[in-house]
This record gives sequence, C-alpha cells and structure tokens, in this order.
Amino acid sequence: MPELPELNPVVHGKLRLALLSLLVGVEEAEFTWLRLKTGASDGNLGAQLLKLEEAGYVAVEKKFVERKPQSVYRMTETGREALTEYVRALKLLLGGAMGA
Amino acid sequence: MNTDAEEMNLQERVSLIESMIAEGRQTAESWGWTFVLWGIAYYVAIFWAAWSVRPWSWPVELFGGNHWAWPITMLSAVALTMVIGLRGGRGKPNTGAGRAISSIWSAMGVSMLLLFPALSIAGKIDHHSFIAIVASFLGTANGACGLILKWRAELLTALVWWISSVLVCFVTEEQMMTIFLIAIFLCQIVFGVYAMSCEASTRRKAAIHA
Repeated sequence: MPELPELNPVVHGKLRLALLSLLVGVEEAEFTWLRLKTGASDGNLGAQLLKLEEAGYVAVEKKFVERKPQSVYRMTETGREALTEYVRALKLLLGGAMGA
Repeated sequence: MNTDAEEMNLQERVSLIESMIAEGRQTAESWGWTFVLWGIAYYVAIFWAAWSVRPWSWPVELFGGNHWAWPITMLSAVALTMVIGLRGGRGKPNTGAGRAISSIWSAMGVSMLLLFPALSIAGKIDHHSFIAIVASFLGTANGACGLILKWRAELLTALVWWISSVLVCFVTEEQMMTIFLIAIFLCQIVFGVYAMSCEASTRRKAAIHA
C-alpha cells in the first residue's frame, strides 16, 4: 500500500487555504477584497497573510492610492506550487473521490 | 486520515478550494450589463435619429435627419460604461483574461469612435457599409472574447454578427434595418441578460459553498 502524503500545514489552515484559492484565480487582489470574500477580521486576515508571506507563498505590495494605504497581494510561483501539491495530496488522501 | 470526521474535514477543504476559485473568477468577470447598456444605446440612437424627424415611421432611416443622435448617444454610452465600470471594478482583482477582454473592447471602441465620424464627415460611407462594418467589428470582438473565455454562447453571438455583416451587403434598406435590429436584440439584449443571469447563478453557488 503506498504511503499517504502529508498535508502542508501552512496551506492546510482554513483561512490560508481560502486565501490561496482566491489568489490562484486572479493576478493580484487588495486586502479589502480578500476580507470581503473570506469574511475574516482585519487582525486574523493580516496574521494569516503574514504567515503566507513568510512562507514565500504570497507577495505584498504596499502603496498609497488617493492618499489611502493599500495592500495588494499576489501569489508567488512557490505558493502556486504549494497549492498544487496540496491539492494533489488531498486527492490521494480522498482516494480519488473528488472530481477536481 | 481514515475516520469519517477527518474525511469530511478534507471534503470541506475541497469545497472551500472550489468555491473560492469560482468566487475569484466570478468577481473578475461581470460583463453582462455592458451588452444590455450598449444594446439599448444602439436602439436609442437609431430611433432618436429616425423618429425625431418622422415619428413612428417604418422602416426607420438609419441616421434619419438628426445628425446629433448617434454621436450624443454613443458618447453618453461610453461615459456611462466608464463610470459604472470604474465604480464596479474598484477593489476588484485583476485577471489576465479580464485585462485581455477589456483591451479588446476598448481598442474596438476607439477604432469605431475614430473611423465612423471620419467616414461620415468625408461623406464616404453609406448605410449598408456602416452596418456591415459595425456588425463585423462586433463579431470580431465577441469572437475573440468567446475564444478567450471558451464560451460557446458568446461565439454564437459573434456568428450572428458575422452573418449579419455579410447579409446586409445584399439586401434592401428595409431588410437591412430589420436584420440590424434583430441582431442587436439577440446579441446585445438577449445575450446580455443571459450573461447577467449566468453571473448571478455563479454568485449564488459560491455563496452556498462559502
């Protein structure tokens, strides 16, 4: 019987997984949009995005638009690979039950 | 990882991934309203131009006697598209497909806004050529977007515009206007409403999964 894969703990967190899944379909997204889509609080969202940033899975660009601070996040190539690997491991664990 | 609870947890993760990916794509792709807006704009321009001179006459004359109807309506539609688009797009993420699609429509819009006034001022365009070129432009833009999005409904729209652009070259003025009005109804109004209902349906599905 083949050995079951480990799930990446950085990706596995529910909010972090939601963030990576949101970012994989877009080029970049603002903090406010990510907050709207996940329904997370500012503090929690900021903390989880920081973890993803520290893992090298997302990159952030902070800028001022119309004198207001704006944080724009984009997924890195490492993040994309980590999510792909996570989905592959998930498929294996679920024994091909998922169709994605 | 063999217990039911753990498997359910993993299934939840799968649903979460699917719904978030769908949500990201759906938010970036909401175009249906522009088709309806421009469909209405074409109708307003046509009937304003024709009926301000000869009220409720049929067939309508494409430019009628009112030379301001088309420029005013088209520029108003451009302004409305920009205002609603900018307001609705604020805070939304960028996608490659989204940028490609808006580039196609913007470039086509600039071409039309430069070409038609120039041809009109120079007196080198007739009604048949005007409709054939408009239909061909719209067929090209819809065809390109349909290929980018791999969306059969929009490719069908392109096909209707292309057929219309060829047909109007061989028919009478009355038949030409009928073809143009039907094409606008099918490709702008009907397709626009269909696209909006698809977007609403995707939004509902994403909300259920979230």
